[in-house]
Amino acid sequence: MSVLDRLPSGRGDRALIAGLVCLLLGALFAVTPLRAQLPSALYVFVEVGILFVIYGILVLGLDLQYGHTGLVNFGHVVFFAVGAYATAMLTAQDTFAGIGLGYPWPLGLAVGVIAAAILGAAVSLTSIRLRGDFLAIVTLATAEIFHSIFVNFENIFGGNVGILGVPRPIASLVSDSDTRLVATLLVLGGVTLVTLAVVTRLTDAPYGRVLRAIRADELVTRSVGKSTITYKTQAFVYGAALAGLAGGLFALYNGAVAPGFFTIQVTVTVWIGMLLGGAANHRAVLAGLSIIMGLRLISRFALNVTPVSGDVFASIRLIVVGLILVAVIRYRPAGIWGDPQELGVDQ
Amino acid sequence: MGLLQEIIFGLVTGSYIAIAAIGFTLIYGIVNMINFAYGEYISIGAFIGFLAANTLPGPLPVAVVVAMIGGGIVSIILARGFFTPINHTGPVPMLLTSIGLGIVLRNGLRLVGGRSARYFETETSTFQFDAIPDLPVGPVDLLGDFFVTSEQLVVVGSAVAVFASIHLLLTRTDVGIAMRAMGDDESLARVRGIDTQLIRDSVWVLAGVLAGLAGVLMAVQTNVSADTGFSHILQILSAAILGGAGSPYGAILGAYVIGLVLAVSTAFLPSSMTGLSSAVAFVILIAVLLVKPSGIAGTEVREA
Repeated sequence: MSVLDRLPSGRGDRALIAGLVCLLLGALFAVTPLRAQLPSALYVFVEVGILFVIYGILVLGLDLQYGHTGLVNFGHVVFFAVGAYATAMLTAQDTFAGIGLGYPWPLGLAVGVIAAAILGAAVSLTSIRLRGDFLAIVTLATAEIFHSIFVNFENIFGGNVGILGVPRPIASLVSDSDTRLVATLLVLGGVTLVTLAVVTRLTDAPYGRVLRAIRADELVTRSVGKSTITYKTQAFVYGAALAGLAGGLFALYNGAVAPGFFTIQVTVTVWIGMLLGGAANHRAVLAGLSIIMGLRLISRFALNVTPVSGDVFASIRLIVVGLILVAVIRYRPAGIWGDPQELGVDQ
Repeated sequence: MGLLQEIIFGLVTGSYIAIAAIGFTLIYGIVNMINFAYGEYISIGAFIGFLAANTLPGPLPVAVVVAMIGGGIVSIILARGFFTPINHTGPVPMLLTSIGLGIVLRNGLRLVGGRSARYFETETSTFQFDAIPDLPVGPVDLLGDFFVTSEQLVVVGSAVAVFASIHLLLTRTDVGIAMRAMGDDESLARVRGIDTQLIRDSVWVLAGVLAGLAGVLMAVQTNVSADTGFSHILQILSAAILGGAGSPYGAILGAYVIGLVLAVSTAFLPSSMTGLSSAVAFVILIAVLLVKPSGIAGTEVREA
């Protein structure tokens, strides 16, 4: 009996296989002379697509925390940022400002994940007992503190310029830009799919059932002998580590990190994506995120045909995003594909 | 600049944060939600005040009154439209709704008002106090020359007037006593015949009025833009939680602590790191939630 046969659910299997196929294809483009050609109209799709798969890892981690365990983490971007900065500072060569140590990138990525997990552990050890809305405030404040630390300690974090000169493993293998974009999308998409498989495996297991029981009623879960604080801490740390992974991948794809990439806007985007799709359903949160990020595509195209300026258009897009958030909570609190009964929001 | 000057700045900052924090904490205590859109209420107040100051013939106090009335009306309309219908869903959905509403309002203001900052034109007289002996301790001067502007005196004076009126409202009027009863126990208040929805509405109006006043004062001290209130929301929130969420008196105390910490840390931090002073306020906030989550005078916010 192979390992795959013993997986409890078909969904996890398919994601795992699809992820491995993507990784293989991406590697094929990266190491063989095989070349891809992109019509120029597709560039923008691939670029937003790459950002989507990176944010996809973020939303999967957040869904583990909020959707499954009910932890209201409104500073998710801080773990993304810490992962990205740790990876960047360990691997960067000849950065303009801040620290660049020039170690190989796999080490940087590993340290990025570990740094985010450690921060997640620190936040959860101190704050996991707080009531939902106050946990949201603490995590939000943590994100603000780190944002101002990144901006203000120029000698270490490079201030507003950030860390430049981060190695780009895929770009260094492939010189022509079309193939590079396709290979990046395939590799990062593969990582996201494998992540999807792993979290599906985790939440389909009895472990995930305990997490959902905590979200439904913590007191009852404790009364059947589960250490809810331990479970909540673990879920929080897993989510933070996934965000750190996303951050590390982002740094290695982008070649630079700066405070401007890690604003509260990232947190808001993944939150709205998760709520719109339907929390506690991994594929639904990814679909919800794709709708919200699809709005960016629409606004990029619409910008070319409408007479308004980019600033005005950005404001209109954010108004639409805000209204979607308000409307989802009011009219469809379980999201588009969520299960209202399971989430306990049916009235 | 000496520490004395920074303390004056701190008292001024603390004053307008205190006015806003009272409104914020009243909503928290009685509607039981963290209203993240409250910063935008303040910005709207600032915009209304700015419009009134430029179109109406009267002096600045007229604009302030217009901003307060406008703030109250906007607040009750938004509450009826967005928060009252989901009152039963609990704190987290309401917090998320307020975040969404905040995004909508902030960008709406940007759309209408543009991105540039505007400034109130006020006549200011400055009172200079010179020839005060220096008292250097390390790099910091504990006394030093200082100045006070008439604007700053107006801000502090308005704050004191607000504290007195809120105290009278909460202790001497039926509405205020009903508010406190509802903050303690909503079901008991309803059993005693209090119209809870009416009280909730009056809290929204009161919070909007305070936001309008805080908005104009903030705008006079800084500027009028879509971010006027939003850039202060975390400080307001810290002040409210520091004082014990739901307690107006605690919020006043918390606001002055936050204001003074911001100002004093500006004095002690090296000049390249003054941006860190806002982080210091959040460190205090987290420390309070860890050590004494109920704040200086408030209720328990931990579950387990």
